[in-house]
Amino acid sequence: MAEPVLEVRDLVKHYPVRNGLLRRSVSAVKAVDGVSLTLDRGRTLGLVGESGSGKSTLARVLVGVEPPTSGQVLVDGEDVSRLSRAGRKQLRRDVQMVFQDPYTSLNPRMSVSEIVGEPFAIHGISPAGGRRAAVGELLELVGLDPDHAARYPHQFSGGQRQRVGIARALALRPKILVCDEPVSALDVSVQGQVINLLEDLQAELGLSYLFVAHDLGVVRHIAHDVAVMYLGRIVEQGAEAEVYDGAQHPYTQALLSAVPVPDPSVRLVATGGARVEPAGTTDPVTGAGATGSVGAIVLEGDPPSPVDPPSGCPFHTRCWLAPTLPEARTEPASAQPPADRPDLGLRQVPTVCETDVPALAPRSPGTSPGAAGGASHVVACHFARELVDPRVEV
Amino acid sequence: MSRTQSAAEEKTVHKDESSAPPPLLEVTDLSVEFRTSAGQVRAVDGLSYRVEAGRTLAIVGESGSGKSVSSLAVLGLLPDTATVTAGTARLDGVDLLALSRKEHRARCGDQVAMVFQDALAALNPVHTVGYQLTEALRARRGMSRADARKRAVELLDLVKVPNAKARVKEYPHEFSGGMRQRVMIASALSLDPAVLIADEPTTALDVTVQAQVLRLLAEIQAERQMGLVLITHDLGVVAGVADDVTVMYAGRAVEQAPVVPVYTAPAHPYTRALLRSIPSASGTGRLPVIPGRPPSPAAMPSGCPFHPRCDAVRGVCRTEVPPHAVPAEGRMSACHFADDILAGRDPAPDGSGNDRGDSGGDHG
Repeated sequence: MAEPVLEVRDLVKHYPVRNGLLRRSVSAVKAVDGVSLTLDRGRTLGLVGESGSGKSTLARVLVGVEPPTSGQVLVDGEDVSRLSRAGRKQLRRDVQMVFQDPYTSLNPRMSVSEIVGEPFAIHGISPAGGRRAAVGELLELVGLDPDHAARYPHQFSGGQRQRVGIARALALRPKILVCDEPVSALDVSVQGQVINLLEDLQAELGLSYLFVAHDLGVVRHIAHDVAVMYLGRIVEQGAEAEVYDGAQHPYTQALLSAVPVPDPSVRLVATGGARVEPAGTTDPVTGAGATGSVGAIVLEGDPPSPVDPPSGCPFHTRCWLAPTLPEARTEPASAQPPADRPDLGLRQVPTVCETDVPALAPRSPGTSPGAAGGASHVVACHFARELVDPRVEV
Repeated sequence: MSRTQSAAEEKTVHKDESSAPPPLLEVTDLSVEFRTSAGQVRAVDGLSYRVEAGRTLAIVGESGSGKSVSSLAVLGLLPDTATVTAGTARLDGVDLLALSRKEHRARCGDQVAMVFQDALAALNPVHTVGYQLTEALRARRGMSRADARKRAVELLDLVKVPNAKARVKEYPHEFSGGMRQRVMIASALSLDPAVLIADEPTTALDVTVQAQVLRLLAEIQAERQMGLVLITHDLGVVAGVADDVTVMYAGRAVEQAPVVPVYTAPAHPYTRALLRSIPSASGTGRLPVIPGRPPSPAAMPSGCPFHPRCDAVRGVCRTEVPPHAVPAEGRMSACHFADDILAGRDPAPDGSGNDRGDSGGDHG
């Protein structure tokens, strides 16, 4: 069963930042900075992270839209960069993409039958029974009425448009479907329909999915394995149940706790006036545990720029856990905040977080029940062992 | 701190004497029609809601349910193809919809502000953030440039944009998505409005940032005792901030109630289905879905507009438009079988169901 259809080894994608008269490359946007992944046949790997974490760049490299700076992408064991011209063309048939926004990823001037049939034209394929019949079949496969093939994208709702996008991606019978936020532009009520459709298609066609999303709730419903990205690196990876029920990285825990809970008794702001945030607060961790009983972790600020990622652990500037550790208190305060960012304040984090990049290491066994598959659950945090329950109050 | 505390007390008082305080904004029986190639199409049909000081009203519905159009009508921002065909929107007792465009703007601009979904599209890319924050202040209050600049910094501080003093000089593209949405909120607050309408303020944002922005809105609302209207398609998002909920479907309000009972005991099958379809991080397996899709306003189904997608549909639903039933105090459900749904049981099979539905229809 565990037969990898897609392997990514140490993938790096840097975009040069050019400056000055000669447009010399002065630095680089480290969009993807050493990522390794394995996607098994017939399974779904969920790739989760905030905007700017590099998850979409990774998806684009995998489908061959962007060449990697270094590292390897292996499809069915074959290194993609060494493929011949014909091999690359075949690769494009094998790896297809479903885009985020069904409103902009479909050409408004092409009819649905032209959109879904275009891959045949590009690859010079005449499907058995003719293109028209093939398009009809594809539309039926994704739950659309083949009689609507002559219609244009604007005549469809968002969910239906996404189905058209999926039909187009399936036209060439790919092995791998890279889905980049396929449901984030859709209403909640429609998201489920598209997710369930993708699951049905996987069972029927034996597809493998790389499912990129920022919504952990959606990912859990479709993914078998989950990888969490932050600033171009994977910080936690493992089987779906392990990552969701036994999250070890403080970032994963923060993401999980940020998923909105449809429970009105969990108030976002204490109504009793118990906690009033002082004006101009400089403590970036005040959000942690602020809602009382449930202890939702609210990360302050945005991810740092991938041009100049923080030293050591990339997450240490926003980590809610590090300043609470005993190691942080006993050590002298780090350097003064830079003059242009006084908002960074004086956060004390353990020195090791500032100096050493944590490696992806297997979680320690026995920290939570059901840690049988321990070796497959890896976490990049110096203090991962000390986190037991993400919902405990800090 | 004491201010916030007294505000919180006031809030509970309001809750107890349910009808005592006059609402800041009261929309009654609002209908909006669009002129299209397919003829007149009704986007909002008889919508009523109240926005009270210090309370948050969530208006929930799918795309095309009329939730945004109804707010645009209140603000007088409807496109030329749309007309308000019925209803009133009373702000401080004055019906905004009866005013001329100019008077409407003058009244609304001061007291009702709006935050839009897509902050990048709503902000002007060629002006600095500071300029846009104070445009309204300079135009309406005649503030000097220097005062306006000072106020802009205060506003950015208020919405917790770090390093506000330096950032007022920056342009929208230099801000991240979450920070841009904060700028939008700051500019909406510049004239100190009594009512803030936020249309999908967090839909384009990451979950982590979504939590920050919602918390900010809730804090500002509590502190200023504003009336806040949150428009969203996701019931999961507003559970923690709303006081009251109005669920819209096909241009109508189908359920209206205080927030807690909506989630614990929905009285309309649509609300129930929406709640089930929220993908949670603790559930696995197949997602329950609402089959089909919302009807096109140009081809509304007969009877209850939700009947083709309803899992508790009975004969009467196909023929009779359900009345606004009151299954419990303070609640409204536009369902023939509101009592049954509220009690968590399926309505009786057709024969008796018809009778019940008919008697309900007489009340409406």
